[in-house]
Amino acid sequence: MSTKSVPAALAVVAAVALTLAACGKKEEPPQAQVAPPPVSMPAPPAAEPAPPVAAAPAEVAVATLTLGNAVGADARVSAPTETFAPADTIYVSVDTTGAGTAAMAVKWTYHQDGQVAVVKEELISIAPTGPATTEFHVSKPDGWPAGDYAVEIVLNGKPAGSRTFVVR
Amino acid sequence: MSKDMPDFSNVKSGSSSTAPKVYVVVKGDTLSKIAKHEYGRAGDWKRIFEANRDILDDPDKIFPGQKLKIPPQ
Repeated sequence: MSTKSVPAALAVVAAVALTLAACGKKEEPPQAQVAPPPVSMPAPPAAEPAPPVAAAPAEVAVATLTLGNAVGADARVSAPTETFAPADTIYVSVDTTGAGTAAMAVKWTYHQDGQVAVVKEELISIAPTGPATTEFHVSKPDGWPAGDYAVEIVLNGKPAGSRTFVVR
Repeated sequence: MSKDMPDFSNVKSGSSSTAPKVYVVVKGDTLSKIAKHEYGRAGDWKRIFEANRDILDDPDKIFPGQKLKIPPQ
């Protein structure tokens, strides 16, 4: 029994020594240094989405076009209609979003039997710093001929919307 | 065919905006002339001058190609 118990005791001592040595190594700082990166890595992506949204100012774009025969001090049409009387001044208000400098053109046309006549064209440049409203208007001293008309808005050379209307 | 189309040569037009407009100076322009065109009153030239003090020192010295901010009415 004594011959068997000595190697067994040695084996136990060796096992304990190895375990202690292993435990001692696991408590070394490297683990603490390795652990933080995985924790800190996910954090930046969560914080990143906010800056791009705030940092990218939107270009000027047309939101809505409204036709009418009167506008308020805010340049918005106060009496929307698409049917006008010959003596009316005809307004189109253009609501825009975004900021920057933009060239805005308006083209009024008259349509009859497949033919098109240009009534008036105008080009202006605006420099909004945020949502804005721009109005264009036309009038004809001797009255508008009855018929079908259209108005088209072009922003920076690209069609940005159009409306049709009639004069009765 | 086009004889039948109405005459629109006497149509009057205008515009206004809640955003500052930008006016590009052409030869022969004066602030009074621009104010008359934009506001209907030559006497409003000071509004344009004040809005452009960053590029104008003298209201009598504007140059073709200059881009002037036209404050909303």
